[in-house]
Amino acid sequence: METLQFAFRKILYAIPLLFGVTLISFLLMVYFGPDLTYSLIGKNPTAEQIAEVRTQLGYDQPFFIRYGMFLKEMVTFDFGNSLSTGERVSSILLRTVPVSFAVALPGFVLSELLALALALIAANHRGGFVDKGIMVFAVVGMSISFLIVVIVFQIAFCSIYGLNLFPVQGWVVSNVADYFHYVAVPTMVIVFVGLGYNTRFFRAVIVEELNRDYVRTARAYGVSRFRILSAHILKNAMIPISTRVIISLPFVVIAGNLVIERYFNIPGVGLITYNAITTGDLPIVKAVVTSTAILYVIALVFTDIVYRMIDPRVALNS
Amino acid sequence: MSDANPSAGEVGADRSGTDPVLRVEDLVVEFSTEKGRIRAVDGISFSVMPGEPVGIVGESGCGKTVTALSVLKLIPSPPGRIARGRVILDGRDVVPLGEREMRRLRGNVASMIFQEPMTALNPVFTIGSQMTEVLRIHRRMSRREAREHSIEMLHTVNIESPAKRFTQYPHELSGGMRQRVMIAMALSCDPKLLLADEPSTALDVTVQAQVMEEIRRLQEERRMSMILITHDLGVIAETCRRVIVMYCGKIVEVSDTRGLFAHPRHPYTSGLLASIPKVREKKIGRLPTIKGMVPDLADLPKGCRFADRCPKATAQCREKEPELVEVSPGQQVACFYPD
Amino acid sequence: MEPEPQPSERREESSLAEGGVTGPVPVDILTADASHYRSESLWTKSIRKFARDPMGIAALVIVSVFFAIACGVWAGWIGQNWSSLQADGYTGMSREHWFGTNINGQDIYARTIQGTKTAFEVGLIVAVLSTVIGGILGAVAGYFDRTIVDEVIMWLYGCLDAIPFYLFVAAVAFALRDQPYAMHVAMIATFWSSTCRIVRGEVIKIKSLEYVQAAKALGVGSMTIIFRHVIPNTFHILLVQGTIAFVSAIKSEVILTYLGLGVKHGVSWGTMLSESTFEVSAGIFNNFIAASSFLFLLVIAFNLFADALQDALDPKKVTAS
Repeated sequence: METLQFAFRKILYAIPLLFGVTLISFLLMVYFGPDLTYSLIGKNPTAEQIAEVRTQLGYDQPFFIRYGMFLKEMVTFDFGNSLSTGERVSSILLRTVPVSFAVALPGFVLSELLALALALIAANHRGGFVDKGIMVFAVVGMSISFLIVVIVFQIAFCSIYGLNLFPVQGWVVSNVADYFHYVAVPTMVIVFVGLGYNTRFFRAVIVEELNRDYVRTARAYGVSRFRILSAHILKNAMIPISTRVIISLPFVVIAGNLVIERYFNIPGVGLITYNAITTGDLPIVKAVVTSTAILYVIALVFTDIVYRMIDPRVALNS
Repeated sequence: MSDANPSAGEVGADRSGTDPVLRVEDLVVEFSTEKGRIRAVDGISFSVMPGEPVGIVGESGCGKTVTALSVLKLIPSPPGRIARGRVILDGRDVVPLGEREMRRLRGNVASMIFQEPMTALNPVFTIGSQMTEVLRIHRRMSRREAREHSIEMLHTVNIESPAKRFTQYPHELSGGMRQRVMIAMALSCDPKLLLADEPSTALDVTVQAQVMEEIRRLQEERRMSMILITHDLGVIAETCRRVIVMYCGKIVEVSDTRGLFAHPRHPYTSGLLASIPKVREKKIGRLPTIKGMVPDLADLPKGCRFADRCPKATAQCREKEPELVEVSPGQQVACFYPD
Repeated sequence: MEPEPQPSERREESSLAEGGVTGPVPVDILTADASHYRSESLWTKSIRKFARDPMGIAALVIVSVFFAIACGVWAGWIGQNWSSLQADGYTGMSREHWFGTNINGQDIYARTIQGTKTAFEVGLIVAVLSTVIGGILGAVAGYFDRTIVDEVIMWLYGCLDAIPFYLFVAAVAFALRDQPYAMHVAMIATFWSSTCRIVRGEVIKIKSLEYVQAAKALGVGSMTIIFRHVIPNTFHILLVQGTIAFVSAIKSEVILTYLGLGVKHGVSWGTMLSESTFEVSAGIFNNFIAASSFLFLLVIAFNLFADALQDALDPKKVTAS
């Protein structure tokens, strides 16, 4: 009951944020965005046709009416039709989101888990060679551009200059074996790219926890090092760590991975977004940007509620 | 005891025929800092007899907490390390022991209570799970036994409705209550030695007295040895049989409590005593303070460390460091000109 | 997971006092160090600390070399021949063309050097402006914390953080059609938020200090206090945040350019790498190796520099020797 109340209050707080992100999206992409009149109309339009399309697009309406129309699109999940294919944007999203999810999820999960493991090892050997080695690796990893990683991994695993084990590009998945075949290299890329940042972040969090008094207490009562790390510290560290994980989820699901999907030509949200950006297909970009932002806000609220379940203290602060 | 005696400087040596619970010999603890290596504790020796409550008093930075942490080898390392000496706990030198063996002693043979009850308990675990963990480690109790024993312990330290507290989180308890939980946890495995590091300092004044009373009662009832670390001589007077006065990593005076208050030998001790307000005196004038500053551990003066602040310091004091010698039965002092 | 993390992703990290190699030193043995607030001595102390960090010095030297190259291009001394068609396409390495030529027969060495300038242009513009905006808004929000001003600023960065970076750039690109600075504007608009957040937290601490209270009591105006007394005391944060924004900017430039949202006129490491994506499968690596090694070297040097800077400026940090 109390948790429900808490959740309700959090949702209430999210409203200004939702208002803000939709307003920014609206301003950038619709209000100051491109004039779509001529994209929707045939050649040699008459003045009446132009006026008709403009009315249909709401260009003759005042600001708030147009913003209201924009909000309505978001709420009803009705973003109109793609300018280039004419397909409904909502059905494009329904088709591509699962693909992006399938491409990004293994890498995302592995990257977080591996980073957490490395961070625990590094923190456990704080100041020693193992720690320094891991941290050097992390900085190097952080310093390599995503694009370079993609290029190198593709050469190394998918080309005749390398191992040539996996498909160069595409996404033809009909069974589990196909899936692993196609997802392998993108997964390696995602793991590699995220690992440096995540390891550093997790290590910083864990080291901060290691310095807390309760760790000294646990040591003073004979609790083993392993248990201190794996239970006492991890449960405390789960608060910042879970925030990071949950908050980055919408970016994985909706924004997909523009670079990976473009480079490997995988038909996920990333690729259709990329195509939409290059062709100026506003309805798609609008839908992807705004729904990601809205999902982000929802993830924020969700994190707060998870916080409360992990950390009993939050109840006091709010 | 003469200077020639090899055990000079050793305090509370075996007088009654029983072995001490704790004997610290020539302990040196070093820390690496930006300014170089410093000795937070510099060659101290003392012992604690069974059932004896001993106080360690001194200003912050004098090495009293480091001394207590060394007993359980809890010195954060790096930057700290035990550079020299022996710490014989319950008949065994802990200095060479590894982490695994130390774990068996911690919370079991010797327990520690910390200054900050607000942060010393893990905020995301219940009181119960933290207490039972200790019992399950050292006593190999089942969950159920550990639960019963913990609730019993909470009852022993006078916590009301212990079964309810058992399921609560630290933030749901007041500071005093949390410190009681710490005490219950510390005593749950029946340790021979309790290390209490400023157990009441962080608490409200009224609660301070209650918590100290609790510690005093339990120490007596259980005939447990105790090292009470504090900067509050008043607390020492009520609780301890013997007092060790530390200054800048060295022991400057050791005395039975009564002797210390009646007749402090070291000028530093006299200074500490003079700075306590005496309630019974009708007129409370300006409290005397000790002049000057504690020297930097990274840049210690030659000779006696207190010389710069000492009213009686002479050229000799600035040249040579005084040894700890017995000046009267039960009273030792490291000063060339003891009172 | 955002592929090229923006400064905001590192915010928690940089706000943590990274314990480094030291454990908790018992309060008992800590001398006054931790408590005194930054003053002249903090800066000299930090410089001393930085000078003793070989990694930081090495990083600074590399960054300086790159900066010198960029200055050379600005001055018109080097890398000027980057666009002229000088030879056949894809000639190998030679004395005339150190790194060979690209598909159009343009000199890759000159293009890499020119790309250094572009990187510094993007990095400096974005780092300076985002840090200045973040610093000022953060100081104002912190100084007026729990007022409507603070709420509005927090709301603003909350909203901007919610929109994925690349998509935000796309949206800005839509609004600023064909403006060459759309990329810069988008980066500044997103990067300022992490600086703002950290500065705000620090200012809330600073404002309770005596000298600020004293200035207030003397009737000094709020804006004067903020600019005279508060912001100068956050310079150490701004410096670190600036370096982080710089790195993020040049890394993002590459990705944005590849996605067709970045540099459109001129040459950058991003345009070179985008070109190279069509070449590597044919076994032509000149563009790729030239651009990626310059990019990697500059980014890692800057990352190490930022780390060393952060360590040197952290007053809480006690280094074990």
